[in-house]
Amino acid sequence: MIQFYYAYQPIIDFFLLSVGFGYSQQIALRAGVFSIATAGFAAIGAYTVAILVTKSGFPIAASVVLGMVIAGVGGLLLSLPLARLRGAFQAIATLAFVQIVISLLLYAEDFTGGALGVTGIPRVMNTGILLVIVAVVMYVMWSIGRTGLGRIFDALRQEESVAASLGVNIGRYHALAFILSGAVGGLFGGLQSLYVFQIEPHNFGFAFMVNVLTVVILGGRTTLLGPIMGAAIMAILPELARPLAEYRPAVNGVILILVITFLPNGVGDEIVFWFRRRRHAAAAANRAQAKEAKDAVTSS
Amino acid sequence: MPSLHLEGVSKHFGGLKAVDDITMVVPPGEITGLIGPNGAGKSTVVNMISGVLSLTHGDIRLDGTSIATDRSDIVARRGVSRTFQNIRLLPEATVLENVLIGFHRREHAGVVANLLGLPAALREDRAFRERAHSLLDRFGLDEYADTEAGNLAYGHQRRVEMARAIASEPDIVLLDEPVAGMNDVESDELATIFRELANSGMGLLLIEHNVGFVTRLCKQVYVLDSGRMIASGDPHEVTRDPKVVAAYIGTSKH
Ligand SMILES: Nc1ncnc2c1ncn2[C@@H]1O[C@H](COP(=O)(O)OP(=O)(O)O)[C@@H](O)[C@H]1O
Ligand SMILES: [Mg+2]
Repeated sequence: MIQFYYAYQPIIDFFLLSVGFGYSQQIALRAGVFSIATAGFAAIGAYTVAILVTKSGFPIAASVVLGMVIAGVGGLLLSLPLARLRGAFQAIATLAFVQIVISLLLYAEDFTGGALGVTGIPRVMNTGILLVIVAVVMYVMWSIGRTGLGRIFDALRQEESVAASLGVNIGRYHALAFILSGAVGGLFGGLQSLYVFQIEPHNFGFAFMVNVLTVVILGGRTTLLGPIMGAAIMAILPELARPLAEYRPAVNGVILILVITFLPNGVGDEIVFWFRRRRHAAAAANRAQAKEAKDAVTSS
Repeated sequence: MPSLHLEGVSKHFGGLKAVDDITMVVPPGEITGLIGPNGAGKSTVVNMISGVLSLTHGDIRLDGTSIATDRSDIVARRGVSRTFQNIRLLPEATVLENVLIGFHRREHAGVVANLLGLPAALREDRAFRERAHSLLDRFGLDEYADTEAGNLAYGHQRRVEMARAIASEPDIVLLDEPVAGMNDVESDELATIFRELANSGMGLLLIEHNVGFVTRLCKQVYVLDSGRMIASGDPHEVTRDPKVVAAYIGTSKH
């Protein structure tokens, strides 16, 4: 077990970070906004932590919290112009947001180190801390799912006009989704920079966006299990496909297409839905049986 | 219980006067009918009341306060609820979840309690679930509680929409052709529910093609034709009005 852990520790840590970014991505998608802003939120969190810790000696935990808050505020601000847009235009606007964040990082060289980034970040993150934080985020996501909030996000995604006709303030709940997406993205961005020793703008570019989106598309956009399955596939796949290492992007692409075609809700969501359908079928059978018994009694 | 007043309301789409200077009242505790041939402007009236469409002229007041320029979610939170002529359900959600959304107006636990899964939020959710089940029971839908709404038969989908619309116990409910496509047995069942709702104090605006159905249920009927209010009053008298007969015969394609 211990040996297994040391051999695979980097993969496990990568998996846990991906799960976190996956939840950030998932909240926006669940609320019906095709967002790719998570990369920008992660960059905000990562740079906040890196700069504060290396240049001002700010306490590490406090800088992680601050990174999370700033990214959450970023999410709120981003949600304001998004409220006027729908569909592909929203996606483009979130992409523009990421571009703006990255350009600012390149520009404000004095603070951010420009293209070279920030180095010498203390490497204090470990699997245990990551696990605890992922668990806390999962608890919040779980709470969203079992209270009215998840239903509102689902309603916004499926039919906005219905949500509005029942009194849901669309702008307010989209803003909430983006605050949460920003805070979670910023949190894990901060954790990532405490893990990798050095960060640069390039870390949060196109490859990052594609990876995070892939986690949710492979895993699922509504269930707790979704990002876990998506991140697990993304973490394990390169190991299994080591002989094909040269073709890794192609292998990823093929798997993505297969999943989208055959499991359009994502592997994790499909698993959860399958169990849900079984439970519902069993409940329906029970009800039918009870009704039959009752009818038999009343007719005799 | 408040009543809903439309005063000199018009809606123009370019040159088309879809609704032309109409005045009407939806009082509490009654079923008020709005009839008229296809394209008369009935759905446009519902869309203006519910804040989906803006008014070109006129005012809409609920209990004396103007709601004419309110967004649809605000109108809903004030207690005016609606169904859609072309059914709009959340297709991936279960029947129960569709109805649960209807309680949104009554949620008080707050965002933080929801995010942290605090007892207040969970208790509230449990209470809504119980009420949703009894609503589904009332509409004869409880056996479908866990069915995805998109998989239901048409008549059942309509009922889910109605259960959802009345879940939060609104003051005014706008029903846009709620029994369209239903057989006599089904529409009689719904008629009973409509009467019960009115007896409990709700004001219902019933839009319907079937003149007989409206005559049986409504105290007051308004007749629209090409956007103009051509008659209003007691349903038995109104349906004998030559103008109304002409409007129906002149366009009796159905
Ligand atoms: N959004 C719209 N844009 C343009 N014309 C519309 C719009 N909505 C409705 N109309 C027109 O307004 C008239 C009234 O439509 P509607 O209110 O749907 O009638 P009804 O519900 O009585 O059948 C019709 O001529 C229809 O084509
Ligand atoms: Mg209509």
